[in-house]
Amino acid sequence: MSASAAPESHRDRRPLFPMIALASVVVLLVAGVSMAAFNERLYAMQKVREATVQADILAATVAAPLAFDDEQAAQDYVEALAANPEIAAVGVYDERGARVASYQRVGETLPSRAAPGRPVFQGGRLAVTMPVVQEGDGLALGLVHLRVVVEPVGRRLGRYAGVGLLILMASVVLAVLGVGQAQLGRANAELRKRALDLADSNRQLQEQMAERAKAEEALRQSQKMEAIGRLTGGVAHDFNNLLMVASSGLDLLDRTEDPEKRERLKTGIRQAMERGAGLTSQLLAFSRRSALKPQVVDLAARVEGLRMLLDRSLREDIAVDLNLPEGLWPVEIDVNEFELAVLNIAVNARDAMPNGGLITIAASNEHGEEGSPVPGDFVCLTIKDTGEGMTEEVAARVFEPFFTTKGVGRGTGLGLSQVYGFARSSHGHVEAESRPGQGTTVSIHLPRSHKPLSAVEPTPGPRRAAGRAKGRVLMVEDDDAVASMVSQMLAQLGYRASRASTADAALKVLEADQKFDLVFSDMVMPGDMDGRALAREIRRLYPHLPVLLTTGYSEAAAQAAGDGLRLLMKPYRIDALAAAVKAARNEAGTSAASA
Amino acid sequence: MMRGAATRSGRAAAAAAGALALALAAAPGHVRAQSLAERQSLEYPVKANYLVRFAAFVQWPPPAFATPQSPVVICVLGADPFGAALDRAAAAHTAGGRPVVARRISKVDARTGCHIVYVGRSKEQSQNEALRALAGTPVLTVTDFGGPRGVIHFAVVGNKVKFHIDDRAASRGGMTISSRLLSLALSVRQRG
Repeated sequence: MSASAAPESHRDRRPLFPMIALASVVVLLVAGVSMAAFNERLYAMQKVREATVQADILAATVAAPLAFDDEQAAQDYVEALAANPEIAAVGVYDERGARVASYQRVGETLPSRAAPGRPVFQGGRLAVTMPVVQEGDGLALGLVHLRVVVEPVGRRLGRYAGVGLLILMASVVLAVLGVGQAQLGRANAELRKRALDLADSNRQLQEQMAERAKAEEALRQSQKMEAIGRLTGGVAHDFNNLLMVASSGLDLLDRTEDPEKRERLKTGIRQAMERGAGLTSQLLAFSRRSALKPQVVDLAARVEGLRMLLDRSLREDIAVDLNLPEGLWPVEIDVNEFELAVLNIAVNARDAMPNGGLITIAASNEHGEEGSPVPGDFVCLTIKDTGEGMTEEVAARVFEPFFTTKGVGRGTGLGLSQVYGFARSSHGHVEAESRPGQGTTVSIHLPRSHKPLSAVEPTPGPRRAAGRAKGRVLMVEDDDAVASMVSQMLAQLGYRASRASTADAALKVLEADQKFDLVFSDMVMPGDMDGRALAREIRRLYPHLPVLLTTGYSEAAAQAAGDGLRLLMKPYRIDALAAAVKAARNEAGTSAASA
Repeated sequence: MMRGAATRSGRAAAAAAGALALALAAAPGHVRAQSLAERQSLEYPVKANYLVRFAAFVQWPPPAFATPQSPVVICVLGADPFGAALDRAAAAHTAGGRPVVARRISKVDARTGCHIVYVGRSKEQSQNEALRALAGTPVLTVTDFGGPRGVIHFAVVGNKVKFHIDDRAASRGGMTISSRLLSLALSVRQRG
């Protein structure tokens, strides 16, 4: 609105200057004409004055000749005036009005008799008649008649033409200025309009950029999901194997009494379970939607941790060789992004090796010169395949978003662009080196971090049961099998567990009996109230009663963390359960004490 | 400029006057040609008129007049050739704001109270005696041709009345004669 109002008001203003210019021209013209008129009048007055003075002088000089009838003397005086070229005719008349002396230029005539009168302009001549009087007495002796040439009008106009020319020039200058101003105004309006258009298109561009960023984010997420999809087959297969190990192990456990054999079987089952837990936790971490969370980590450990995931996501005909020396410098990266990047490169390598091959992942400490993509110390991670390689043109575009050589439905073209994005956001650099038939090497350069290593995620503790504790635990769990197992685990830890299968039931139990040391609740349950709501309710009703939540859903876990609730992620082992229960009780105790 | 022109033309007038008069006299058909009788009949009224008009061109020393309004007294010594013409002229003129009066006298001296004296023929005082009596006094003596000369001496050139001026005599009497009048004179005896 305001944007359109500005040019509007400008349009209103625009004719002002030309109007001023026009007015100035008119004023100048009027001034010029009045000046000319004034000058003309002044000229006439001056002429009259000059002629009068001339006539007065003549009258004074011819007074004596008139008094003593000396026409000759009068004539001499008259002729003396002839030297003045402005004088056209002179006549001296006696007291009776008869002419006694005269002088006429060619073509001039003089009246033979004269009478006094006012100065008269006629035919380019000014006629002045002055009385001749006796000095000191005013006694009339006669008249003098003087006719002077008045400068022709043409010549005077010529003189005024100079002034006129100046006025004309001033008018032209003003007119040019006026036109220029108008043009400038128009140009300004045009510029303003263009600036508005530019701002408009800029805004559109920003909107488009925001939309594109959103779309890219969505695509990145979907790309993650695609990767997960690829994993799923392998993961299911793996889980089946694990379940096979576990179930057959349990069967064999029932049929043997040999303690040594039983211990071996238990170890096999436990290992299978650990692998399964590791797989699921990696999958959860991988699918978690999170902002970049840089951590200072040891690359070797991270890549090592990825091995299982890589094994699952690649085919069986592809071998992975890790060459990670000790003493790599720490780097500051978002671990999830890093893992995704490695996975993306590996998947690309896999696709480049349809007949199987070897992927070598190596790392080394390097130093970049000033001016190189990563100056100073950095860690170089190379992922090399023995695949079909790429042409130079493809290698040059391989990091562009949506660039893909894969068939429709087989790739999004986002995989390597994620790698590029990860490298950039880590202040690092990525490059691909390839030649057709000779495989591809992707190098990621990550700058060395001088910060201390971030706290390592809790590693599994000793398998021995923690020290026995005492207390009552209200367990809220809808799944009977899980409930049975967990209550046994709690009993093993020294707790007496009561069970409620829904949140409502749990509140009823608490209403009757509050002598519990802890409420341990699942988060996702049937019924109107889930674990989170239950925890809030308990916190409101029984502020001193600690609540520990548990879930296998990463999303629910994030919500609980957002509420500041204590959480234990499924699946968990008995050690983790013991530690979490203890921590929850301690926290409740300190908060109660401080309250 | 004009002053220069006036003196130049004054000298020219004096030099050319005789030639013009001769030319006029040699042209009997001219309007200005007059018979001797007519000339003589006009001569004295003209002279009477001049006599009065001289007053306006002469400056007397202040003691010559009792008051600023005191009249200029013109005296005719002896026989009066002007008659009523002089009285008419006197009545018609003023001189420097003063009235002009005419008196007829038979004898004159410095104490007579005349400012201008036309020295005619008087039985009581000869022209020379009168002129001697008035010499060195602020009295403008006017004489006619054919006799001794006063400050202004009439002459008739051709058919016109002219005059000679003795400016030296005038200055001895303390009088100043206007250069305009001097420029009309046939001759001027310059101040010593």
